[in-house]
Amino acid sequence: MISVTPKPLASQQEIRDLANLTPEQVALKIQNLNLHYGEKQALFDISMLIPKGQVTAFIGPSGCGKSTLLRSINRMNDLVDSCHIDGEILLHDENIYGKHVDVAMLRRKVGMVFQRPNPFPKSIYENVIYGLRLVGVKNRRTLDEAAETALKSAALWNEVKDRLHESALGLSGGQQQRLVIARAIAIQPEVLLLDEPTSALDPISTLTIEELINDLKKQFTVVIVTHNMQQAARVSDQTAFMYMGELIEYSDTNTLFTTPTKKKTEDYITGRYG
Amino acid sequence: MDNLNLGRHISGQFNEDIEAIINHVMQMGGMIEQQLTDALTAVNDNDEKLVKKVIDTDHTINQYEVDIDDECTRIIAKRQPAAGDLRLIMSISKSVADLERIGDDAEKIAKVALESFSSNQQDLLINLDHLGRNVLSTLQTTLDAFARMDVEAALITHKNDEKIDRAYEALMRQLMTYMMEDPRSIPQIMTVIWSARALERIGDRCQNICENIIYYVKGKIARHLSAEQLNNL
Repeated sequence: MISVTPKPLASQQEIRDLANLTPEQVALKIQNLNLHYGEKQALFDISMLIPKGQVTAFIGPSGCGKSTLLRSINRMNDLVDSCHIDGEILLHDENIYGKHVDVAMLRRKVGMVFQRPNPFPKSIYENVIYGLRLVGVKNRRTLDEAAETALKSAALWNEVKDRLHESALGLSGGQQQRLVIARAIAIQPEVLLLDEPTSALDPISTLTIEELINDLKKQFTVVIVTHNMQQAARVSDQTAFMYMGELIEYSDTNTLFTTPTKKKTEDYITGRYG
Repeated sequence: MDNLNLGRHISGQFNEDIEAIINHVMQMGGMIEQQLTDALTAVNDNDEKLVKKVIDTDHTINQYEVDIDDECTRIIAKRQPAAGDLRLIMSISKSVADLERIGDDAEKIAKVALESFSSNQQDLLINLDHLGRNVLSTLQTTLDAFARMDVEAALITHKNDEKIDRAYEALMRQLMTYMMEDPRSIPQIMTVIWSARALERIGDRCQNICENIIYYVKGKIARHLSAEQLNNL
C-alpha cells in the first residue's frame, strides 16, 4: 500500500473567496462596468476580481456580453465608434480607461488571441518577434532568444525549430493558433485574453491548446471566453456565467460545475436553455 | 495499472487528477486493511484500547469516502470522461462505498472485545478469529487486484467468497448449538453472531469490488452472475 501523502483532492483544498482576494492575488479589478453600443446596453454593472496567475473563463449564450467584456479588458471596443463605457477596469490600481493611458502600452501588458488564427503573411520567426520589433528591439540575439522562449512556452518549438524562416501560413490551424499565442506572449504581457481560441480547431488540437493554457497560467493571468462550457470546465480555475449582459454567477470552477447557486446557471450548464 | 495507459491523456491535469484519486483509494484501502487487522487482534487479545483505535480510524475513513466520491463527481462534471476513464471513475465511486462499509463492519467486529466471555466460550472466539483471518486475506487480495486492476486475481478472489460463506455457516451452526445448550449465554453469543455476520458481509463487499474491477477492465457487467457465467465473460 502507498504510504506517501498523495496530492490533495479538490475537495480537500481551500476554495478562494473571489470577493475577498488580497491585493497581491488580484490581476484585474472590474468595477461597475456598464457598456453601451449606441442606445443598446451590452453590459450591466459588472464588478469582479480576476485572480493573478490563474485561468478565468467567461461562459454564456451568444450575445450575453462575454466577448464584449473580454474586449473591454484591452480596450478593443475603442475601435467601435458607437461604444460608450463607464465604470473602471483596474490594472495595478490604474484605470485602463483613464485619460492618460497609452493604449498601445496597455495592449503590451494585456495580449489577445482571437477565434481564428491570424498569423501575418511572414515567416514563423518574424511573426513571433513582430511585437518586439514594434517596440524597437533590434538586437539579433535578444530576438532569437525571445522567439525560442515564446515558441517553447507555446509548445510549438519542437515542431517548427527547423523551419523558422518558412511562411507561417504553411502551418496547420492548430499550429497557427499556437504561433499566434507565441506572438502574444513574446512581449511578456501580464494578462493574456483568449477569445474562443479553439473554436476553429479539431478536438486533438483543442486539447493541445488547453494543455498549453494550463502551462501558461504559471507565467501569465489568462482570461478565456468560450462557447464550449466543457472547455471552461476543463481549463479554468474560476468561471463567470453571463446572461443578457449581466454577470449571473462567478465562482471557482469546481463549485460552479457541480453545485451552482443560481438557477439560471444550472439551467445553462445542464443545457436547458441558451 | 500502468499498462492501462491512465497517464497518457493529452491533458496533464487530467492525468494528475486520476493519479491523485487512485492514490487516495489505495491509501483508504490500506487504512481499512489495518483497521480489520486491529479489530481481529482486539477481539483476540481483549484489547479495549485497540477497539478505540478502530473506532477512531473509522471517522478518517468516512472522510476519505466523502472526498473521493466528491472528486469522482467533480471529474465527471469537468472532464466528461469517456470509455475506460468513465468506467474507472464509476468503479472507484462504487468501490469506495463498499470500502467505507467494510470500515463500519470492522468497527462492529472490534466491539466483541468489549464483551466478557467465560473460559468455555473461548472456542467461539477462536473460530471467529479463524473466519476473520480468512476474510482479511480476501480483503488483501481484493485490494491487490484493485491496485493492479488484475481481472484474473479478481475472479479468483470473487470465487473465494464461497469458502467464507461455508465457514460462516459452520460457525452459525456451532453458535446455535451453544445457545440451545446454555440459554444464559445468548447475550454474549449474539455479539459473536453480529460480528460473524459483519465478517461475512465484508466478504460480499470484496466480491462487489472484484465485480467493479472486472467492469472497469472488460467493460462487462459482472453483477448477479453465476460462477460459470463470470468465467465466460
